[in-house]
Amino acid sequence: MNTSLFLIIVLVSGAFAGLIHGVTNLAIVEPYLDQAIGMENQNMFASGEVDDTLEFWVEYEGYRTWQKSGQVLAGVILGVSIGSLFGIVFAMSRSSLPGRNNVKKALILAGIMWVTLYFIPFLKYPANPPTVGDAESVVLRAILYSSFIAISGIAAVGFYKVSKKFQNKKKILGLIGYVAFISLVFVIMPENPDKVTAPLNLVEGFRATSVLAVSSFWIAIAITLGILWNHFKPEREIATSN
Amino acid sequence: MSESRQITVSKKGVPIIAIIALAVIFATGLFVVGFDQGHIFSLVYGEQAFTDLYIHELTHDMRHAAGFPCH
Ligand SMILES: [Zn+2]
Repeated sequence: MNTSLFLIIVLVSGAFAGLIHGVTNLAIVEPYLDQAIGMENQNMFASGEVDDTLEFWVEYEGYRTWQKSGQVLAGVILGVSIGSLFGIVFAMSRSSLPGRNNVKKALILAGIMWVTLYFIPFLKYPANPPTVGDAESVVLRAILYSSFIAISGIAAVGFYKVSKKFQNKKKILGLIGYVAFISLVFVIMPENPDKVTAPLNLVEGFRATSVLAVSSFWIAIAITLGILWNHFKPEREIATSN
Repeated sequence: MSESRQITVSKKGVPIIAIIALAVIFATGLFVVGFDQGHIFSLVYGEQAFTDLYIHELTHDMRHAAGFPCH
C-alpha cells in the first residue's frame, strides 16, 4: 500500500466530511442551541446571577459568535479524528466488505459504524442541549458515554470475527450475538443521572437535528473516501523490482 | 521513465505506521473536541487554561450537537 497517499486521502476526506458536519450544524442545530442558551440566560437573570444589561448582551454576542465559528473548526477537527478511525477500519476491512466499488463498500462500513458507534449509544445516552445537565456530573457522563461506545465497537469487531468462523447461513449468529450482547449492556449500564428540565419540543427538535447532522457526516465521509479511493487506488504498491 | 515502475496489488495489507499515525490523530482529535476541559492549553498556559476553557468554548456547540456530554 502507498502509505502517504493512503494517509492523505483519509485526512482529506475526514476534513471535508467534518466541514459538512459543521456547516449542517450551523444550519439546522444552531437555532435550538440559541433557544436553549437563551433560556439559560433568562434563568441567570431570574436568579440574579447576572444582570440583564447592554454590557451582558454585547459580551454574550461576541462569545456566541466565537462559539458558532468555532463549531466549523471543531467540525473539521472532529471529522479528521473520526475519519482517521474510519480510514483504519476501511483499509483493514475493504477486501471483505460487500460491493464492487469503494463508494459502496465505504457506505456499508459507514452504516455499520453509524449504528454501532453512534446510534445505539445515542439511544442510551441521547444528546442534550445546553440547560439540560448538571456540570457536576459531566465527567461521569463522559465516562458512561465513551465506555458504551467502546463496548459497542469492540463487541461489533469481536462478533464479526466470531461470525467469520461460521459457514454460510450460520454467519447470522454473529449478528444475533451482537444484538443480544448490546441489548444486555444497554439495560445494565446506568442511566444518565441528569433530569431533562428543558421543554420537550426543544429537546426533541435538538436531538432530531443533531442525529441528521451526524448522519450527514457519515454519509459524506463514506462517499468522499470511496471516490478518492476509487480514483487514487492507494492499495497499489510501486514495486521496487529489479 | 515511469515505464520502468511496476504497479502491483499488495496483499500485505495496511502498513502499521499508517495505523499508528491515524490512531494518534483519532485519539487526539476526539479528546480535543469531545472531552477537553482546558487540559491541552494548560500544557502551555498552566492553571489559567482551566478557567479560560478556550478549547471548550471553541468546540462547545459541536460538542452538544455531536452528542458529547457537555454541561
Ligand atoms: Zn455546553
